[in-house]
Amino acid sequence: MSTLKPWIKRLNPLVESLMAGLIGLVIGALIMLAFGYNPIAAYISLFSGSFGSVYSWAESLANATPLILTAMTFAIAMRGGLFNIGAEGQLYIGALAAVAVSLIDLPFPLNAVAALGAAIVAGMLWSLPVALLKLTRGVHEVISTIMLNWIAHFFAFYLIANVLTDPKRGEKTISIIESARLARILPGTSLNYGLVIALIAVAAILFLLWRTSAGFEMRASGYNQEATHYAGISLRKQVLRVFLIGGAIAGLAGAVQVMGRPPTYAVMSGLPQLMNLGFDGIGVAMIGRNHPVGIVFAAIFFGGLMVGGRIMQFSPGVPLELVRVVEGVIIITLAIPELRRLFTFFLAKFKRGA
Amino acid sequence: MRSFRVKILALLISLFAFVGGPLMGTAAAAGKVALVLDVGGRGDLSFNDMGFKGADEAKTKLGVEVVEIQSNSAADYLPNLQNAARTGDFDLIVGVGFLLADAMAEAATEFPNQNFAIIDVTWLGKPNLMEIGYEENKGSALVGALSSMVAAHYGKDKIGVVLGIEIPVLYKFEAGYRYGMHWGNAKYEKVTGKKANVGLLWTYTGTFSDIAKGKAATEAMLAQGAGLVYNVAGPLGIGDLEAITEHLEAKGKSAGPPFMIGVDANQDYLGDGHRVLASMMKRVDFGVYSAIESVVNGTFKGGVTILGPNNGGIAMSGKQDLADFIDFGIKGGAISASDRDSITKNWTAMRGAIPGWIWDAVDELKAEISAGTAEIPCGWCADTIGEIRDKYPD
Repeated sequence: MSTLKPWIKRLNPLVESLMAGLIGLVIGALIMLAFGYNPIAAYISLFSGSFGSVYSWAESLANATPLILTAMTFAIAMRGGLFNIGAEGQLYIGALAAVAVSLIDLPFPLNAVAALGAAIVAGMLWSLPVALLKLTRGVHEVISTIMLNWIAHFFAFYLIANVLTDPKRGEKTISIIESARLARILPGTSLNYGLVIALIAVAAILFLLWRTSAGFEMRASGYNQEATHYAGISLRKQVLRVFLIGGAIAGLAGAVQVMGRPPTYAVMSGLPQLMNLGFDGIGVAMIGRNHPVGIVFAAIFFGGLMVGGRIMQFSPGVPLELVRVVEGVIIITLAIPELRRLFTFFLAKFKRGA
Repeated sequence: MRSFRVKILALLISLFAFVGGPLMGTAAAAGKVALVLDVGGRGDLSFNDMGFKGADEAKTKLGVEVVEIQSNSAADYLPNLQNAARTGDFDLIVGVGFLLADAMAEAATEFPNQNFAIIDVTWLGKPNLMEIGYEENKGSALVGALSSMVAAHYGKDKIGVVLGIEIPVLYKFEAGYRYGMHWGNAKYEKVTGKKANVGLLWTYTGTFSDIAKGKAATEAMLAQGAGLVYNVAGPLGIGDLEAITEHLEAKGKSAGPPFMIGVDANQDYLGDGHRVLASMMKRVDFGVYSAIESVVNGTFKGGVTILGPNNGGIAMSGKQDLADFIDFGIKGGAISASDRDSITKNWTAMRGAIPGWIWDAVDELKAEISAGTAEIPCGWCADTIGEIRDKYPD
């Protein structure tokens, strides 16, 4: 491999991912065959359904929007050597903060800006205890984020049922007023300007991580804590940074989903349009190698799978449960290269005793 | 490495060539229908499964082809409807449940030439959308009358109702149940000459999914001496029944009273067949079936259709329903086929232990409702539930 030219080397992850994806498709096909469904017809509808037309592209991009953001929450932490799985809860809180603030009668476009801002702040606040617990009491972030996710879950249920409830329809919060919603990019589809917001966030994180000293410090602490510390960089500051930025982005994901996604523009009881977006983001980050640009492509692919999965229920008639199994297989195989790399990285770290 | 890749490619091609041939043709059907469900999906033994039941019947009786489309997330509702409409293949697209209301409103406007139908929604008003609502208040009055008479018969002075989220649709259940309770009290006094003072315990749990809350609410009602508890919160009935089962076990008993009253589907077969006295059946299956039938017959038209006791959309569970729904429960995995006989036996014994005049009285109320002489509150009581609570007090 050492004789390869550098530009080919840079393509290596892509080749690796394509191979992994192919293996996933084959395993998925075998599963469908085993259950008596035609895998060719299923895959044709999967890919034509996700990327076969302008409409399906728009839907795939709409699904990718919140995932881009939640994946970045995970990726930033990963770059800083931390394992942040708190995007799920921060997303709920962000969405509800956006709904709550949109109820204040501010003029357009101030109302939309205020709602987005509130979601960012709410996501940060929900993430803050994770950083504080880690810094003051040494609580591992996996434990505290899992717990805070559940607290957010039930707190959200409470808010939907008792505080932000739509008086005419108890199953949802009051809908965000029309002027505060994110407009659709393409009429008749779910694609809205949330995508633009997500891409701006990607650019901002790219700049932060690779063009600022703060980003350098964060990445350095992820690579080697002792060396970073020796170089005079405060590790405690990095923990705070990682979780606050991560919380802000996850909160934004919730706001974008509830302000941009038609047709209800409200958080529904049971959180059905938010549930799992935070956890799916982890998968997206893995597939995207924890790099903002990789994440954008991975999220579009992931979003496409979700859209195509709907279509798979139509023509070959594959039931949704099996569609999910096949999607899961494809996602796992795609994530394996990064999982392997992370595993060896953390194993080495563990052996060093850090 | 390279030869490895080639091998994989070859494997893929041969695999696809192998399976590509068969499974391509489809037989001509009387029509093609898409059934779009909310995130609940299959397996709730209640609302959604009833929707599937109607579609299954349409498949066998009318020969239509049915495509089921489940939703992964609330964000899927609109795209699922749009995707189905965009294919242009479907004679009818049915949305099962009021959670799809907003998405349905938008899809029906976007595709004016596509026939749509929706269950439990009656306020959208589109020319290409059949909206199917139910007279849950009337069915609740029937089980309310049964409850108070049975409670009085067993010497209990309370009946309970465990409701879900406080929304106007649920007021219909509450109002009807209150009316029925008072009707039953009066009837009991008239027939037996003894005073019946059965009162109501009611709780809005604020959830349609937290089963533990159903259990807690029912335990509280049982502690206050409730003889029957009416489940008006879908899956919370599992918790209601658990509370009743444990209450009976503590006394070394298995059969009620206390009983549960089931909702939506016929739930009589649960609780070994002798802890659920009756069910207020809201025939979602019937609504789905009749919408499909109207398309097959060419009589489909937009607007609101109300299903009630007169046309079989709402009914109190009977003997034939039990047999049907034991099959439904077996299919759903709630009971096993070997339980069929014991459930039927227990159920017959449970119902037989209650005096015949009580069952006749329920039929009498049903006749009054059909004739229009009994006026059951309320069609839509978002604004009037307070007055109804005063008129038919706890």
